[in-house]
Parts: sequence; C-alpha cells; structure tokens
Amino acid sequence: MAVQMNTGGEEETLKQAFETLNQAAPYAKDMYQTHFFQTAKKMAEKEKGMQQLYEYAPRFEEAGVFEGGPWEEPSKLQPALVNGSLRADGVESIVALLSELRMISLAQQKHTHPEVSASDAKKYLNEVMANNLDFIFPEETDETDKQEQQGKETERAQNLFALMVDELSLQSISSTLIDEIKRLMVQRPIMTDRVRLMIRKAEQLLHEDVDEQDRKAIETFHHAISTVTKRAKESQSVNEYRSSLQDLDEQALSGEASAFGQSMRDTGLVSPYHVALVRYLNRNADIKTMQEALGLSSKGKSHLKEHFETVQELIKVSIHLPTRQSLYGLARMLERGVLSQPPVLPGLRRLIDLDIKQDVRKTLMEASDSEQEGLTAGDVLTAGVISVLGQPLGIGQGLNPTCQSARALSLWSIHDPGYLLELVPRAARDGDIDMTFEGQTIHSKDLPGGLAPELHKELDPVSLVLVPHLDRIYADMVRRVQFRGDDPHKWVNPAFYGDWIAKAFSKVFQHNTQNVIDYQGFVRLFYATHHRDYNEGHEMIYPNPVGICVTTVYGNFLGFHAITIQRIAYDPDDTYRVYFYNPNNDSSQNWGQGIEPSVRGHGEKEGESSLPFHEFVSRLYAFHYNPYEQGDSFAVEKEVVEKIEQLARESWGQKFQWV
Amino acid sequence: MTSTQNDNQYKTALIGWSLPSIEAADELGRPFVIVGPPHCEQYAEKYDLPFIAWDFDHYKKHYSMEDVWEQSEELYQLLKEENTGLAVPLFEDTVEWAAAVNGRIKEDPKVFRHSLLFRHKGKMKRRALLGGLKVGVFEEANNKEEVKQFFRRVNDAMLKAGEEEQDPVHVKAFDKAGDVGHRIIRTEADIDALEDEAFPNLVESHLDGVEVSCEVFVHNGTIQFLNITEYIVFGYSMMAPPSPEIEKQRKKIRGAVQALIRAFDIQYGLIHPEFFIDEEGKISFIEVAARIPGGNIFDLIKKTYDFNPFQAHILCSDPNTSEEELQSFFPKERKSKGHAGSLMVYPRVKTIEKLHVPEELEEHPGFDRHTMFTPAQRKVPEMEGFGNPQGVVFFHHDNHDHVREPLRDYVDFDFYI
Repeated sequence: MAVQMNTGGEEETLKQAFETLNQAAPYAKDMYQTHFFQTAKKMAEKEKGMQQLYEYAPRFEEAGVFEGGPWEEPSKLQPALVNGSLRADGVESIVALLSELRMISLAQQKHTHPEVSASDAKKYLNEVMANNLDFIFPEETDETDKQEQQGKETERAQNLFALMVDELSLQSISSTLIDEIKRLMVQRPIMTDRVRLMIRKAEQLLHEDVDEQDRKAIETFHHAISTVTKRAKESQSVNEYRSSLQDLDEQALSGEASAFGQSMRDTGLVSPYHVALVRYLNRNADIKTMQEALGLSSKGKSHLKEHFETVQELIKVSIHLPTRQSLYGLARMLERGVLSQPPVLPGLRRLIDLDIKQDVRKTLMEASDSEQEGLTAGDVLTAGVISVLGQPLGIGQGLNPTCQSARALSLWSIHDPGYLLELVPRAARDGDIDMTFEGQTIHSKDLPGGLAPELHKELDPVSLVLVPHLDRIYADMVRRVQFRGDDPHKWVNPAFYGDWIAKAFSKVFQHNTQNVIDYQGFVRLFYATHHRDYNEGHEMIYPNPVGICVTTVYGNFLGFHAITIQRIAYDPDDTYRVYFYNPNNDSSQNWGQGIEPSVRGHGEKEGESSLPFHEFVSRLYAFHYNPYEQGDSFAVEKEVVEKIEQLARESWGQKFQWV
Repeated sequence: MTSTQNDNQYKTALIGWSLPSIEAADELGRPFVIVGPPHCEQYAEKYDLPFIAWDFDHYKKHYSMEDVWEQSEELYQLLKEENTGLAVPLFEDTVEWAAAVNGRIKEDPKVFRHSLLFRHKGKMKRRALLGGLKVGVFEEANNKEEVKQFFRRVNDAMLKAGEEEQDPVHVKAFDKAGDVGHRIIRTEADIDALEDEAFPNLVESHLDGVEVSCEVFVHNGTIQFLNITEYIVFGYSMMAPPSPEIEKQRKKIRGAVQALIRAFDIQYGLIHPEFFIDEEGKISFIEVAARIPGGNIFDLIKKTYDFNPFQAHILCSDPNTSEEELQSFFPKERKSKGHAGSLMVYPRVKTIEKLHVPEELEEHPGFDRHTMFTPAQRKVPEMEGFGNPQGVVFFHHDNHDHVREPLRDYVDFDFYI
C-alpha cells in the first residue's frame, strides 16, 4: 500500500496545522499550538513563507493562536518588548512574530479588534519599527560564527520586518526614526550608543525616497558623529586630521573650533575628530579658541577662563576617543559653574590619582571599550564624573530596575556635587559606601545581594561604580522599616537622598491592602502643596522624588516607577506644567488617554520631560510634601479633582480596588 | 463524531487531568466530569470544564494503595451528586481510584481489589503465572540479602555460578509507572548499590527477545482492537504498527493477549501489556497496565489507523456502549496508513545552551515533525527513570525502514547542547 507522505509540502502542513488548531475547542488549543508554532517557525525562515503566514494573520485570533499566553491581549502589548522577544531563542520568538503579523493585519484593516483600532495598530507598529532598526537595516557582518548562532531568530525577524516595511512603507518610519533620534538627543543623555546606532542606520535611508527635510536632518546627525568640517572629511583618518592641524593658522583653527563647537552644541553629540582637535588645542592654543571649540555660552566662557589650568588638566586626563562624549559634559559642567563650588576642585583632583580596586577597574575598562586605547580606569572614571556633573538629567538607569539610584545621582549632581565626589572614590577605591539611617550606619560592603552581578553594563562610569552600592543600601533601608504600617519610602527617601526631601508623605494606596483610598483627598493635598494657586505661592526649591503609575499607550497599568519632579512652572503658552526627570531616559512615552510626556517645545530644559499639571497628577501615586507650606486643600475646584479621578480610574485605576 | 447511546445521561468521570481525554469525551458528546489535581482547577474554571479537585498526591503520601477504597467514599459522594455512572482511569496513579469509584457504584469492593493486580507487580506476576502465561522466575524481596539469594539461585540453575559473566536479574518497584525504580543487576556489587528505599520490590530473571507493547481495547471481555507497538530502543523510541517480522506474528500475539484477558478476567477498558518475543517466537509476559500508555503511542495509533484512541478508551470502558457502535468505530487492524514512530528526547546536559535539530533529520524521508523548542527553563531537572522527555520527534512513512532506521540512529544524538 503506497502512502504519500507530506503531500503538498510546507504550505499544506501549515494549512493543516492551522485548521487543526482552529477547529479545536478553546480549552484544547494548548495541545495544537506547539505544532502550529513549529510549522510557522519553518515558514518564517523564508520571505515567501512569511507572506503565506501573513495571509492567515487575520484569523490568528479566532483560531486561538494566542489563547492562554501572554500575547492574548493585543492591547496590552508593549512595542519596547518586541525586540527582546524576537531575539529570544525558543517558542517566545515565534509567538511574538505571529503577534506582530496580527498587528500588521489590524493596521491594514484585514482584521479588527474591539480594543485595537487600525490607527492604534499603526502607531504601535511605527514604534516597533523605530525600535527595531537593526532588523530593518541588517548590519553587514563577516562574523559567520556569530551569524550561525544568532542565525534563525535574526533571519525570521528580518523577514518579518521586510514584510512590515512593505505593508506600511518606509517613509512612514523615516520621520519616526528621525523624530526618535531628535527626541532622544534633545534629552541629552550621557550614554549615546543607541542613538549613534540609529544614526548610522538612518544613513541608509539616504538612499531611499525620503523627503528633503528628513534628509537634511539625517545628514546633520550623520556629520555630528563623524566629519563635521570639510577638512575632517578630506582626511583619511582621525590621525591624519590631527597632523593636518599643524599647518593651520590661528584663523583657520578658530574656524575648525567653532564648527565643531557648534555641531556639539546643536546635537549633543561629539565627533572623534573633535577629540583630536580639542587635544591639539589643549597643547597649542589660547583660551579663546578653546572657548569656541567647546561651543560655550558666556557663562561657560568666563568659567573656562577662571579655571583654565584645571580644565586643561581634565582634558588631558579624560577626553579620549572612547570617552569623547564627556567633552559635551565638560562644556555643560563649565556652564553650570560647578567648578566654583569649593569641594569640587579638590574632589576632582583626588579622582585623577585614585587607586581604583581591581574589579572596578575591570568593569570600567570593559564597559567603556577602553582596552588597547592606552587609557586607565582613572581616566574613564574622571570622564564619567565630568559627564554626570555636566548632565545631571542625562543619567540613565539603562536596562536596570534601579531608578532610585539614578535619581539619587542626578539629585546629588545638581545640589551636592561635593557629596557625590565623596561617594565615587569611596566605592571605587574602598569598595564600600556608608549612610546613616535612623542613627545606625549602614555599610554597603556588609550587605548581600544587590544587583551588581546582573547589572546591565551599558551604563555611564559613575553609575557602574555607584549603583551596586546604592541599590543595596536602599534595599536595606526599605527592609528595616517594611513592617511599620506605612509606606517605607516615607522614611527611606529623606535618609537616602538627603535632607532636601520633605518629611511628610502621602500615597493613594492603603498600605498592605493596595486599595485606593481617599483619592480626592490625595489630589487636593498635592494641589495644596505643589500648585502655586493653592499653596500660598510657595515655589518648589529642591527636587521631589515621587512615585507614578506608568500606563501603556492604551492606558493600562504597566508598573510603578520612580521619577523626580524638578520644577513646576508655566510654559511659554501659559500652561501650568510639571517638569520632571525620568531616569529611564526615554521620557516621552505615550501613557494613553492622550497623556504624552513631552521633552521639547514646552519650555523643557535638557533632560526634562513635562506634562500639564492635572495630567501629571492623574498618574501620581506617592509624593513628599512640606506640611509647613500647605494651602487650603478645599480651595481646589471640585471639577478639577473629578476630572483627574476619572483619568486615574479609567487607566491604572482599573487594576486596583477603590474603597 | 460518533455519539454514544447514553440515554440516561449519566456522567463519565475522567480520573486524572489529560486534555486529549477531555477532548475525546467532549467530542463523543458524553456528559463528563474531571477529577484532577487542585492545580488544574483554575484552567478548568477558565474554560468552564466540569471539575472536581482531588489531591491524589496527598493520599499517596499518607495512605497505602489498599487504603484507597476507604478513602474513596468522599470522592464517590461528590461524584454521585454529579450523577456519575462510570469512572475511567487516565494514569497509573489513578487506576485504583477509578476502580474504587466504580466498585462503589456497583457496590462491589472486588472491582477495587481487581485493580490492584495492575498496580502491584508481585500480585500481577503471580496472577499471570496462575493463569498460565509464560513469565520469568520471580520473587518479592524485602532486603539486599534476598536479592542476592535470588541472583545466586538463578545463576546456579543456569550453571553460571562463579562465572565471570552471570545472567542478569531485574529489580522493579511494585507500583511505579514506566521505568521508575527499574534496575538491572549484573553483579553483587549492583545489589549493594541499591538504596534502602527501593524495598520491598520485585526481582525477576532476565528475558531475551524483541520487546513489544500492545494497546488493547477490550469490551465485554473481547478484543475490539489490538495495536502492536515495537520498542525500537527501549525507553527511547517505538514504532506502530511494528516491522513485518513482528506483524507476521500478530495471531500469536493476539493469543497471548487473549490468555492475559482470561487470566486477569478483564471485561472493559484499555490494557497496555508488554511482552518479549524470543527468536523462536516464544512470547513471555512482562507486565500490564490499565491506563493510557506513555511514549506518545496513542499519537502513533491516531496517525496510522485514523481513529481517536482516547475516544476508544472511553467507549470501551463503558459497558453500555453498543456492539454496533464499536464495530463502526474501529478500523481493520491490518489496514494501517504506513508506520509511525516516536523518539523521546532527553537532554544529556545539565544546562541547555541551545537546540540543535540537524537538517539531515528534517530532510529524512521518514521525518514527520518534532515538538522541540529551546526551553525557557534552561536548567535540566534531575529525574529518576526516564522522566519526562523534553521533546518528541515523530516519523511517518509507508516504508517501515524509513521510520525504524532514524528511531535507532538518533537515540544517541544530542538535540540539546
């Protein structure tokens, strides 16, 4: 008896696997999903197969492809997680891929979903594309080893994005991409690796049909990280450029200096050629040319003049090719006038000759790619400190759940750089820092755990050195008061961040039950202590570490997050706004309900994000306040309070009990 | 789908949690209720499946198997409220529970005691011997000394005493499914290595030959369908229907199964016996279980015979199923659609780095599909016996060589590295 096996090949197998799954009862989907995922995996390895899979995408939902798994609800999906899921080896990458196909079919109106409209889906996918440029523009690589290892997941993801780009067109992301680059850079982060990668990817768009404005923007960024000037462009290498500087007269040098200074000022990015120029000027030129090369404001210029010798020393030690971004930090540090604070100069000098512990040295060298560049760990650390002192709101937590520590570094950099300059050498040299909590000294070296081993290393040098210690101390303080019957942050925050933090504390959640209680009272209290119209005109002086409920683009609760209110003021359009620092360095997320923190255009300073006052309050769940600077809470209009309550209830509030 | 003549609409209780069996009952259109471990309750609730949580593990820990009869009163009452007319065991550990419930329904404690024959290898062998089946020499051992005595006596009889290579004997746990608790004794040192927890147990002489299992659907004491599965590499791979050499002996195997059914007085349900067939075609009984076999054998049957064995299991367990219904349900045993095989994959590493499925395998003419993904849990748990495989490779072809050959060749292949 002849039996024909595998009739019809892969296409038929896919069809059968899909139909079997489709026909199964909901409780039984689980038994047939795996086989469907296996066939989908095979199909996705080829472009044509991806297309065939896509044809089924409008029916994925009804067939139960996502039944019972984390991808069940498309409205709960996060664009930011897609990249990680697609790279994950195992079934996760397949389900994630199928989920994206479903999203494309929603965007193209081949399928509908009660909670995700076509425009929701498009918005989601635009963000996904902007976050996955490496898949859209695969990097050419000769490392066959690496390819083989990464191979299939990457291959499938690239096929997915090829289809996505076909369906949604590339232009739609060219502006998203450029916008993303601008959006990230306007916040002036200390770490620029990701933006640099995006810029390099965006360069490939120059060969595509993009509009003139986008093209110009791409070119500007492209130049900022490479050859800013004609002379640099004509040089074969940074080294050749450096040698060519010797032939220049004063005027020509000044021209080079202003061009680089201006580019850095405009973009926040430092070109390697800029480093060669500045190091050359540091040996051979006067204060004026250096002022130009740093693109300084008048305040910055006078501070450079005042501390010229120190700056020369700092450049010599810390500004090298791998640490080039610190040149921007240096310029900003001068403009902030930090060097005029008494403890800062000796603090920096101590750093230069610091005897750094072996393990810290290794971490610093590895994370900054500084091996074989002739740098020492001390150089890297000094450069890191300059960045932190120059860009206090550019500090990011990276891919670590350490928002509290990032918040602390930022606050100290602004208000107590001397203290920060105490902590850095303690950790780097002694492997320990200590803080006092309610009369008892806590040493980080005595504390177990902490995130040090798992700390994701894409962090600035100061965070790399300090965060493991800070995180352990913070956790220990919380542990000590966790059974006190109220939120531990009430006591921990003032002790951890410093006496700037007001002692009184309010929270929307009832401690222990996590129920929302007296929400209106909470809102009124915040107005009466923070809104100028209700708090008797008191101005906010020190940053306030507060807790917010982050929500997804659909307004669903995503998690708790720590941020800092920097200031509260009217913007140029007379909207009263809260300006805050978000340590995740991706401040302009979309929180749903039309609430989108902005990072520019509303009077924000570098690194700040902002929201209209009432929108901010709708996501707030905990804050500190000064009871001595409190107005009448009953004065807040009922309609205002009710509007905020509605926003809260209909977003994160759905996750909680309201009593 | 076939629907049963179930006029008074009593419910069938599925004892144990198994989605394919739930699906089978559902597709047969039979009213059913699941008796499963408490951790499955949430799933059942989500999909509105009738469910009674029963903590089998708790009873296993605190009571002996013989106590199940007494302990089953509460479960019986719960099931009675649900109008349960029949209990069907799905797993080794639920055989006695299903029997206890059925015994209470029929007000006949013997039904329960009968089930213990399948759950205690000592009782099982004695019953087989009494019924005239060919079995090895066996004894129940309480300690290492008794195992040694047995080992010596067997080798003395075989005139192997004192020789370098002695005849091996097997130690088996009384009541464990599959290969858990099975040890091969080749030397007295192997006996010393046995753990104290391994006693009491069954010791038996070694039998040679090809090993097969049968999946026998019995109704009213007669065989409705007999599937023969050939063990290609014991514990790792199997094929159904078997190679032609074994297929030729179907009649003889059927005879052995019939003898077994008579010896054990089996009326309804599914049995899964294992036999050795030696070079002269002599068939020896190894053991028999009254539950769904492991190793994906039911998937192989489904693939090659085009009927749902999970449904067959339920139908044959019910005395009220009519003859006509059964006749139209089962296909002809000799009309199979090729041969199907399954290869169980067990990681041999402690931590899984990645999955490696060679292209040659996927392009093999007999290759059907596999179920492997790199697991999220990279650490491989330590298991006794064969444990749960981390994946299965299925083969299917009308030429048995295209199935048998990879089942043999890929046993030693490391899919997880």
